[in-house]
Amino acid sequence: MLLIAALLPILCNQSPSFDREVLPILSDFCFPCHGPDAQARKASLRLDLPETTLRKNDPLVVPGKPEESELFIRMGHAEPSKIMPPPKFGKTLNAPQREVIRKWIATGAPWARHWAFVNPQIAPPPTVSDNGWPKQPLDRHVLKGLESKGIKPSPEADKATLLRRVTLDLTGLPPTPAEVAAFMADKSPDSYDRTVDRLLANPRYGERMAWDWLDAARYADTNGYQGDGERTMWPWRDWVAKAFNRNLPYDTFTLWQIAGDLIPDATDESRIATGFNRNYMINGEGGRIAEENRIDYLFDQAETVATVWLGLTFNCCRCHDHKFDSLPNRDYYRLMAFFNGTSIDGGGGNPQTPPILAVPDTNQASSRSALNKAVMEAEKAAGAIPKDDNKKIDAATAKIKALKEDLERLEKSIPKVMIMADAPKPRKTFILKTGLYNQPGEEVTPGVPSVLNLFPAGAPANRLGLARWLIAPENPLTARVTVNRVWTLFFGIGLVKTPEDFGVQGERPLQQELLDHLASTFRGTGWNMKQLVRTIVTSSTYRQSSQVSAASRERDPDNRLLARGPRFRLPSWMLRDQALATSGLLIEKVGGPPVKPYQPEGIWEEATFGNKKYVQDKGDALYRRTIYTFWRRIVGPTEIFDNAPRQVCSVKVYRTNTPLQALLTLNDTTYVEAARCLAQRVLLESGTDEARIRLMHSLVLCREPNSQEAAIMLASLKRHRQHFSMFKNEAEKLVSVGESERDLSILAPEHAAWTMIASTLLNLDETLNKE
Amino acid sequence: MTRTPFIDNNIMPDRRNMLHAGGTGIGLAALGSMLAKEGRSAPLPGTLTGNLHQGSRAKRVIYLFQNGAPTHVDLFDYKPKLAQMHGQPVPESAIAGKRFSTMSGGVKGKLMLAPVEPFHQRGKSGSWVSNFLPYTARIADELCFVRSMHTDAVNHAPAISLMLSGAQIPGRPTMGSWFSYGLGAETDNLPAFAVMTSISKGTSCGQIFYDFYWSSGFLPSRHQGVKLRNGSEPVLYLSDPPGVDRNLRKNQLNDLAALNAIRQQTTGDPEIAARMAQYEMAFQMQASVPELADLRTESKTTLDMYGPDVLEPGSFARNCLMARRLVERGCRFVQLMHAGWDQHNSLTTELYNQCRDTDQASAALVLDLKQRGLLDDTLVIWGGEFGRTPFIQNDINDRKRWGRDHHPHAYTVWMAGGGIKPGVQYGSSDELGMNVAEQPVHIHDLQATILHLLGIDHERLTYKFQGRDFRLTDVHGKVVKGVLV
Repeated sequence: MLLIAALLPILCNQSPSFDREVLPILSDFCFPCHGPDAQARKASLRLDLPETTLRKNDPLVVPGKPEESELFIRMGHAEPSKIMPPPKFGKTLNAPQREVIRKWIATGAPWARHWAFVNPQIAPPPTVSDNGWPKQPLDRHVLKGLESKGIKPSPEADKATLLRRVTLDLTGLPPTPAEVAAFMADKSPDSYDRTVDRLLANPRYGERMAWDWLDAARYADTNGYQGDGERTMWPWRDWVAKAFNRNLPYDTFTLWQIAGDLIPDATDESRIATGFNRNYMINGEGGRIAEENRIDYLFDQAETVATVWLGLTFNCCRCHDHKFDSLPNRDYYRLMAFFNGTSIDGGGGNPQTPPILAVPDTNQASSRSALNKAVMEAEKAAGAIPKDDNKKIDAATAKIKALKEDLERLEKSIPKVMIMADAPKPRKTFILKTGLYNQPGEEVTPGVPSVLNLFPAGAPANRLGLARWLIAPENPLTARVTVNRVWTLFFGIGLVKTPEDFGVQGERPLQQELLDHLASTFRGTGWNMKQLVRTIVTSSTYRQSSQVSAASRERDPDNRLLARGPRFRLPSWMLRDQALATSGLLIEKVGGPPVKPYQPEGIWEEATFGNKKYVQDKGDALYRRTIYTFWRRIVGPTEIFDNAPRQVCSVKVYRTNTPLQALLTLNDTTYVEAARCLAQRVLLESGTDEARIRLMHSLVLCREPNSQEAAIMLASLKRHRQHFSMFKNEAEKLVSVGESERDLSILAPEHAAWTMIASTLLNLDETLNKE
Repeated sequence: MTRTPFIDNNIMPDRRNMLHAGGTGIGLAALGSMLAKEGRSAPLPGTLTGNLHQGSRAKRVIYLFQNGAPTHVDLFDYKPKLAQMHGQPVPESAIAGKRFSTMSGGVKGKLMLAPVEPFHQRGKSGSWVSNFLPYTARIADELCFVRSMHTDAVNHAPAISLMLSGAQIPGRPTMGSWFSYGLGAETDNLPAFAVMTSISKGTSCGQIFYDFYWSSGFLPSRHQGVKLRNGSEPVLYLSDPPGVDRNLRKNQLNDLAALNAIRQQTTGDPEIAARMAQYEMAFQMQASVPELADLRTESKTTLDMYGPDVLEPGSFARNCLMARRLVERGCRFVQLMHAGWDQHNSLTTELYNQCRDTDQASAALVLDLKQRGLLDDTLVIWGGEFGRTPFIQNDINDRKRWGRDHHPHAYTVWMAGGGIKPGVQYGSSDELGMNVAEQPVHIHDLQATILHLLGIDHERLTYKFQGRDFRLTDVHGKVVKGVLV
């Protein structure tokens, strides 16, 4: 906010931007009593609407004449009984804020709608002085901002850094040494662009992009609450990764997840997609009232859709009109009404509450049809047995029974995805007083927030219509909110820093033209996700070096001006994947049931009062990508930190720095075993100490160490070697951590010494960060 | 305590950072004290030893934050008038011009609600405490009840943020991180700022504990609160891997520090120094945390004092005992957060559980600190983000669903120890508990007072960020002299 203030021409006689400067002041100081919330409104006065604020009768604002404008006069009134906001409100306008209001009125009091509620338009990219720098139109927007402040962009990051950055960003894994070598050797001008295309075609891309979608969708493998029963929503999770990989247009991606059961050509796949709205927590406690549960689920569905697609804090309107945005309480229940037509009930005893779809894999499907056939044949054969042949009848009955039991066992093993499906008879929806399920008020019909674009003409008043409205070209939010989240993946902070709130209280984007350019282009390309990602990562903005001088860091600590490349700590799941990949342990199997890697003992037991026991998997399951790790909702995997808790929808970025994270990457079995295997890898693949240090460093960081760094590591190696040659038993212990086999041809002390070096490398700040 | 050498690599960047940050505030003073001791082993970056602005009464703080907003009119603020007016509409004069949460709809015409449990005057001091809190009642003579608290925010997260960071919007440094920054740590072995959370069993109104409640905001990230886990092991992954001993690990971290320092020169990113500081803390915690969490050394008398849940991981009682152990070991700011106080419709049901789960242990903590001689320089604060309406939410004929809505205009917080006057009721609300009547204490005043007790002038503890000197109390705050010894 301060940064914005500093950049704005407050002190010259220009009209302040209504939306950026005036509206936030009105919102903070006036709306609580003169805003959208009818219940809290004082003196029947609204200052959130132009027709009431700029009314002609008994005017509050006289355009051009602040001194005659009641609004301005009251803001600086000397009498406590007259001043606004009143002293009791607890907040007073300061002089610069009053000056904004004064100038706004002096320059004619132009009104504008909140920026995010106005549809972004395709605009020609701005002209800049340095035409050599932009590689993508988006760069022109960034450069224009920098040039206006006399700032030069940073030079391009060196090749190796850039390759590591983009490979981590697009696949969540570091590049292989062969990929580094090929890229470094490739001097052709389009080598980087071809690398991006290669990465976008890698199936790892879908897994990487899926993670944040699973966070937003509150995906987990259990139901939550005390019982925390297991569910099998993972075919939905796999569908998400597949959808990203095959570049399903984002409008279809949206349509299927919200209404894949209602589209004219619905398939099993589009029905699985509707599992999005079934990822909410299910309360299976005995004493719960089913209807109360059911209403909770509806709240969750409506709020999740509002956050993910619209970036609106709709949860505020569950009990009252929104305090700042024009979102009446009634709109909340109208949105909720779209979800009220399904056959979902509030029962929670069965962890897979209907409607469900059984999703057999190919083996299960063929076994099932074979068994069904066998049962049919056995029954037919039994029918042909003479009635007095008891022995044969008994045998046949037993056979049928056994077959049916097999079939039942098979059916049980087939995952069932909870999906959306409408009940034959629609339910009525009511405004619920203070959100209480048993306090119905006025009846409402399905409808979209009145402050946004109109519901498409002729669209059905159900989830299908809602989905079409979200992806309609007139919708001002869906594209912006989406590109903002995608941008955040790569730059660590959104163009709107509050991805969950695009309302009046959310952050105004510093570079709205840039956001709008991305949003309208995204829509214009048919919601082409890979193209959006490609545009971002091939831009000059993205390709800048992240190195920063003290002065420019002081000026812009969070890199909001984009005068340098992104540098921030990798998400915890990516740290684990990186460790598995560099050590060679990673098993790149796609999809399937969740796995249970190493975890400290007793975590589940303690959280569930002994009801759930963690049985760690063996073999390949220990080395799968983290996206496949079993997510118990009430505790979450212990190797994950700074992540959405996956209980309700969360699109926020979490990034902290605590000693607990250091303990994880230093001591967790996964990381120690990765260090041990990385050590083995260089011991087997290379010869001298120097060469091995170089190789190990390159495996982890895509660059060789400089002489200073190499010297530190060599000295360290000598010390560790000396230590372990004296303590051979300790060496043996260290190189036995983890369940993967070790090459016994390597002597334990040597292996242990290198394991320590590998552990150091895996804990370097450079390794933990994307640079 | 001799310092491990690897921290020394990080003092330089931090000091440089502080030079930028310091401006005219405490940062510069801290810098002076650090430069004076250059090359010696003692000071942590940010330490102010010997340079305090004023004499300190408290050395450490335990904040028992009651998340969800306890009902002042049912627990501490006795209003006989409420019983007299029970069932009558709220007088318009009491609510005129006030801003209320509209969870319960318009305020006009709401019915007044008598306190659910009887009140009595307690101890020699005669402070009022209701029967909801029998243990707190017994230690009333140790406590200072500030009954004239008021705040600006009407919703939980903004109000909690205001209470803990001085601003409603997340992103400012929280109190604990200000202390860590301003006063440094008393120990190298444990975080200067530790956080523990708990929630009453079976509550229907659990708020989320957002990590911005213990964020360091724009202060260097090593000042952020370290959240200890609820389980029997407060910190996971504490043990070095098999075959790695302490010396080996220390050598490894030295190498790591040296390599990171090289990288910091290249990248210019001060977060690298912060990360290294966390690695150092991790190393220290490997020894100190198991000892911290080992409650076997506590006597049965002590354990009994905290109540039946004291050994149950994740209970408020256990966290209270842990808080005492933390401050004993030099932790500067312990922030316990207990959720479930949001009695919109559960005054006659869940409020009893809330009190059962917190009352005994809160009182035990004060007594325990006292008997160990720690109360004199440990400030204990108990309270929530706002109070609850003296009028009812829901149907007055449905006693089972009685509730009270959010109420920012008057509420109660109690404090003890650390230079606070014991056995006092400070300030008052009006006869309905609706508005402050005498000696109002705003959140920023409370913060200024807490800082004062720690020997810090709240106007001088500043950090320059994006061209402005920020402080915990923003541009407000007056020390509440009347609560000081």
